[in-house]
Amino acid sequence: MAVNPTGRRRLLAGADATLRSVLVVASLVFAAGLATRFRARVDLGFDQTSVLQPDTHHKLAQLAGGPPVRITAFTSQPGRPDAALKDQRLRDLLDEVELAADDVEVRWVDYDRERLTAEQLGVTAYGVVVVQRGEQRVDLHDRALFQREGGPEGALRFTGEPALARALAQLLTDRRRMVYTLVGHGEPAADSPAPDGLAELARLLSTDHIELRSLDLARDRTPGEAPQIPADADAVLVIAPTATIPSTEDDVLAAAVARGVPFLVALDTGTGVPSWLQRAGIRLGDGWIMDAVRVFPYVDRPIPRTRTHPITADLARQALVTVLPRVAPVMAAVPAQDGVMTSTLLSSGDEAWTERGGAAVDGVPVHDPELDGPIGPLAMALAVELGPASGLVTRGDTRVVVLGDADGLRNATLAEGPGNPTFVMNAMRWLLRDEAALSVVRPPAAARRLALTRAQLDTLRAGALAYGPLVALLAAWVARLGRRER
Amino acid sequence: MSAAWAVWRKELAIYAATPLAYVLAAVTLSLAGLFFWLGVALTGEASLRVMLSDLAVAQLFIVPMLTMRSVAEERRQGTLELLLTCPVSPGAIVVGKWLAALTLCGIVLAATGVFPVVLAMYGDPDWGVIATSYLGLGCVSAAFCAAGLFASTLTDDHVAAGLLGIVMLLPLWLLAGAERVLPRAWAERLAPLGLVGHLQSFGHGILDTADLAYFAALGCGFLVLATHRLEGRRWR
Repeated sequence: MAVNPTGRRRLLAGADATLRSVLVVASLVFAAGLATRFRARVDLGFDQTSVLQPDTHHKLAQLAGGPPVRITAFTSQPGRPDAALKDQRLRDLLDEVELAADDVEVRWVDYDRERLTAEQLGVTAYGVVVVQRGEQRVDLHDRALFQREGGPEGALRFTGEPALARALAQLLTDRRRMVYTLVGHGEPAADSPAPDGLAELARLLSTDHIELRSLDLARDRTPGEAPQIPADADAVLVIAPTATIPSTEDDVLAAAVARGVPFLVALDTGTGVPSWLQRAGIRLGDGWIMDAVRVFPYVDRPIPRTRTHPITADLARQALVTVLPRVAPVMAAVPAQDGVMTSTLLSSGDEAWTERGGAAVDGVPVHDPELDGPIGPLAMALAVELGPASGLVTRGDTRVVVLGDADGLRNATLAEGPGNPTFVMNAMRWLLRDEAALSVVRPPAAARRLALTRAQLDTLRAGALAYGPLVALLAAWVARLGRRER
Repeated sequence: MSAAWAVWRKELAIYAATPLAYVLAAVTLSLAGLFFWLGVALTGEASLRVMLSDLAVAQLFIVPMLTMRSVAEERRQGTLELLLTCPVSPGAIVVGKWLAALTLCGIVLAATGVFPVVLAMYGDPDWGVIATSYLGLGCVSAAFCAAGLFASTLTDDHVAAGLLGIVMLLPLWLLAGAERVLPRAWAERLAPLGLVGHLQSFGHGILDTADLAYFAALGCGFLVLATHRLEGRRWR
């Protein structure tokens, strides 16, 4: 059949256009597929809470390969204050979890409509999240997922991610690890919510399935028996004793070190170093570290430099600053004693000195060569490994982390420095020889709420609803005026 | 490029002269106000998440109404043939018309800028999240304008073009609920095509290359198809 020239030209042009369109659309689909496969996600939010913390990613990665994790989330109680916000926050978190891990299955259940699912899982309350892996199961309740700061009317803080991290840690390690913090000599208690307490530290450690308990050696003992560190202690903390630790208790601590119990010792300026640590050649300098380079806007807080060590590797990589309000220099014997290996974790800069209350300009201390102590770099925290040759351990070896400031662990300052939670958690993981868990830890951020009265809310409603039509009418009127003038 | 610029100017002048643009702007801004109020009343959060995600869904119906007459009206009035005989490529016509519709959407979105200011008066909003939310809405507008424009090239009845645009975009929105009606395996395969899933990250303050690529592919794909339709018409 003959095709006339016009028809032929049309056919060719049409075929060419179709081919080009198909090619372009196919390329676009391919590019979109590639972008999905090699996706990059950047959190531009100020709080950096929209993407999962590296610590949660790390735990999800550790769970990969085993039985799949099934997360069933039940809706909050409708009509309750913040129900919508709570559901939204939880949904965001679980969406991120589902995106981050292939073998995590998330199911969102309306508690009112799907009662059968709730009954099958034995859930009897709104807002519960059930995390399952094989036979293991962890339930997260509303009070673990959300907390109010400063009473019932305070800011709502979404603690879902730390709670989920804790649940994942429980799935990873069946056994809850016990860490005791010494009390009875002026030390802060593990459950104290006061600014100088350790409740925040306890909460932080719980994300790794670690329980922090206070231990009073003088009281927590069987009558008639000598005091001792409990047999289930995985580690012991000695944080800012203000009174001298009696020699009997000091011997108990030394006995625990001898049997390989790791210690985290955080001391404030002017407090005594436990004798067993002194025997390892560790002592605290007289005074506190001042540096020409300080944490803005404080005039007395030096910026610690991170040194190469597994504990500080993430701090260095992410450039996270640890804030230690009043840190004393921690010194190790030179040369190191036999069986004692020390590594500096944090240190001051070269322009630092040990302040002893010398000269000050406009209230800011300056270096006074007559009175002040050694100049930088000065160690602020040390990692110490004690071997049998040290004479302090009887079998194997043990680890100790010594920090020249206890304030950095207290409730008031634990979350102040972006690097503080990471430093503390990684120090504890290193002490517990859980190096696989070393990662970045960030504290949860509070929800950004509006402060509105009922009257302001009503005004806002009227304004918001009237705004649209008014603007459009104004625009139309301006356009009409413009046309008339033309 | 100058041809596309001329088409853009002409289209904007038409939008400014027709009441439809003002009606649609009023509807969009009224809905934005309503969603803003609902977001504040429901969550009490200094954020625009509720407003921006719901506004994106509203745009699914509004944008095709805005673009419905772009090509269909020219076809109906017979001016399209005139335009196609001018030294203007079909691609330039499509890009010019698309940019004009997008400019109008941008003006309406800019008018919602008063809401973040209100949030800043009574709270401390996360400006990073607000910026990504607006970026997400911009991406949605761009993709929807392209889809509406393509629908407008398919028929000379502008109402039909508007409805066609909505019908084309609706499945992308409905895919969010696919798991309720489709087998799980199917729902999982279709999920990446859904609009809602690609919008969520913007609302959280996250910039995801997969989401950006999705909207870019959607928008460019419809623009290419619209250009193809006009090219075909030139040879008819």
